[in-house]
Amino acid sequence: MTTTLHRKDQSLALPIEPDPGKRKLSTAKAMQEAISQRMARDESVFVMGEDVGPYGGIFSSTTGLIDRFGPERVLDTPISETAFIGLGIGAAVEGMRPIVELMFADFFGVCMDQIYNHMAKIHYESGGNVRVPMVLMMAAGGGYSDGAQHSQCLWGTFAHLPGMKVVVPSNPYDAKGLMTAAIDSDDPVVFVFHKGVMGLGWMSKNDRSIGAVPEAEYIVPIGKARVAREGTDVTIVTLSLSVHHSLDVAEKLASEGISVEVIDLRSLVPLDREAIVRSVSKTGRLVVVDEDYQSFGLSGEVIAVVAEHDPSLLKRVSRVCVPDVPIPYAHALEYAVLPTAARIEAAVRNVVAT
Amino acid sequence: MTDVLFPLMSGKADATGVIVTWFVESGDQVTPSTLIAEVAVDKVDAEVYPEISGVITLLVEESKEVPQGAVIAQVT
Amino acid sequence: MTPSNAKSLTDDGRRDLLSTMVLIRTYEEAIRLAYYADKKPAFDIGAGLVPGEMHLAAGQEPVAAGICAHLTTDDAVTATHRPHHLAIAHGVALRPMTAEIFGRETGLGHGRGGHMHLFDPSTHFSCSGIIAEGLPPALGQAFAFQRQGNNRVAVAVTGEGAANQGGFHESLNLAALWNLPVVIVVEDNDWGISVPRAQSTSIASNADRAAAYGIPGVRVEDNSVEGVYAAAGEAVARARSGGGPTLIEVHTLRLWGHFEGDAEGYRSDLESVPERDPIPIYRDQLLKNAALTDAQYQQMQASAVEQVNDAIDYATSSPTPDPLGHLSYVFSEGANA
Repeated sequence: MTTTLHRKDQSLALPIEPDPGKRKLSTAKAMQEAISQRMARDESVFVMGEDVGPYGGIFSSTTGLIDRFGPERVLDTPISETAFIGLGIGAAVEGMRPIVELMFADFFGVCMDQIYNHMAKIHYESGGNVRVPMVLMMAAGGGYSDGAQHSQCLWGTFAHLPGMKVVVPSNPYDAKGLMTAAIDSDDPVVFVFHKGVMGLGWMSKNDRSIGAVPEAEYIVPIGKARVAREGTDVTIVTLSLSVHHSLDVAEKLASEGISVEVIDLRSLVPLDREAIVRSVSKTGRLVVVDEDYQSFGLSGEVIAVVAEHDPSLLKRVSRVCVPDVPIPYAHALEYAVLPTAARIEAAVRNVVAT
Repeated sequence: MTDVLFPLMSGKADATGVIVTWFVESGDQVTPSTLIAEVAVDKVDAEVYPEISGVITLLVEESKEVPQGAVIAQVT
Repeated sequence: MTPSNAKSLTDDGRRDLLSTMVLIRTYEEAIRLAYYADKKPAFDIGAGLVPGEMHLAAGQEPVAAGICAHLTTDDAVTATHRPHHLAIAHGVALRPMTAEIFGRETGLGHGRGGHMHLFDPSTHFSCSGIIAEGLPPALGQAFAFQRQGNNRVAVAVTGEGAANQGGFHESLNLAALWNLPVVIVVEDNDWGISVPRAQSTSIASNADRAAAYGIPGVRVEDNSVEGVYAAAGEAVARARSGGGPTLIEVHTLRLWGHFEGDAEGYRSDLESVPERDPIPIYRDQLLKNAALTDAQYQQMQASAVEQVNDAIDYATSSPTPDPLGHLSYVFSEGANA
């Protein structure tokens, strides 16, 4: 079925993971640039969500877009997630390419039916005859005392339910490339951005939230992990903000002769299982770092991938996740549950000790 | 050589601001389309671009209080 | 008041309405037969030619016929778990529709969707098994039509029970706020499975809820196909001309159970149901007014039987999907495409 407003054959062939160049942006600005460049090329792309207009998105995902494209293409919605996410679905079915923002991943509870029973299932239920080329972007993550209902990651929940792709960039370069790929995809893509990697001035910053981003459009392929740091003694498989902490730990331990390989998953659906197996085949020791809840989620899945492939590959395995508790408010309590560099370091030392 | 100034953002002349983020380092080559900094006064953000091309030298650290209009970098 | 561009009914139009209703009823009766045929001796819901739940729309034909008479296949219709009457009236082809209900590879969804998940992009028809959740995507279709600058409309049909679900209210508000070319239709068949409206809804008529969102609300009584036709004519014309959404509630009749196999022991109005059947009522009305002859009616029935038998034969002789293809169609490209 061809769509009426956007035809796939009109999209340009974009470079895949080109040289980053020298120009630096924050992750937030990289997302804005990806959306802006796509909207300039394709009038069927539009943005919708709460406070995405003049406010620019609560976590700066859409800053500047309404000034450039106007309120017809950057729409502030009422607080009606079921209605506006569903509206995005219907618009996508009829050939538009909506980018819909769910303000916090934690809010999926009020609208999950549209997401997992409609957005994710329509393509399959229609035997491939109806496409839903939609991006659902959402802020996730804790570390700034926003409490149990505003600090969750939840990407494991979305990844668990069939029919939607799930991408989780950790840095500006991947954020722009994955956003472009997500908009370009004919499948529904859940794009989860950790607030702590956005480079926001009003949150404690980390250096890797600012990075080199090519000025032209490009793609980071959905479904491909990246070796963020090569190593030989232990594999850390991780994503999002935890990539940054893992790299910090790896740098520190290098001086002690412990060689840590860090795999940034970048996508959860599809999951780059080959990259996981390739790395663990080399090191034999696996630490999974995931800021989502520990049980019944991503970390178990990663370990299962290796175990199903060949359990003898694994000499040691450990996971560093948020335990099965609601995320506490008080700073010291919150940081006791988050996968901090200290916890990651302890896990790595633990698996290399034997 | 051109001075890069902290933008005037607040009607209150004595309101100070901060460099929130430097996107370049001293010694980097910049052009008028290079985003060099994000600054803020009273939680309102602004982006700073240089007026000329050249090599930039940063004069102020991130998060330090800066008066509006102060020289924050130079481009030669 | 009739807008100047609403069609008024001729006798031809009346006969068309009746023949659509007859086709729907013939279809639902045939599906019912096929559904029960091989679930004996004890009813096994998962067994047989047509497995799973089955929600048939006998008695609700006037809603489908009256609304779809004003639509073309460029307009969108979203329906519920009880979708067959709307699919048929809107012009979904019977063969692939029936094949889908029978779970065949030649079905609309290659057997992946089934009776509650019929998708036909060529007529912009879709349905959802989640109460009230078909409304938001209909808003999106209307939004796209509005942006495309054509005068196409989206019709979202739901039940009176759904009018108490959050998504219904969100949808009415957003449709009104953005002036979307959508008509929202509530089929009030008195029963949300086993719970009567008076026990679920705080007010007597959902049409009155329209005022809360600043849009027109109309209630059609007596399951009248011509009443639906008139109300839908105004609403569709309003939407096409940029006048925004309308809420229509039709007091209709669920002739059979909520699902097939429903013993309806809870149902206090069972005795009165047969005499409220809308098809004999409308047929007799047209006969009396000389808008219909017996011969014409028999021809309608014969034609319906022929079309329905053809669709059922097509479905029963179609191949079942290859189990090895169970991962296909998850995504449009890559693994599991």
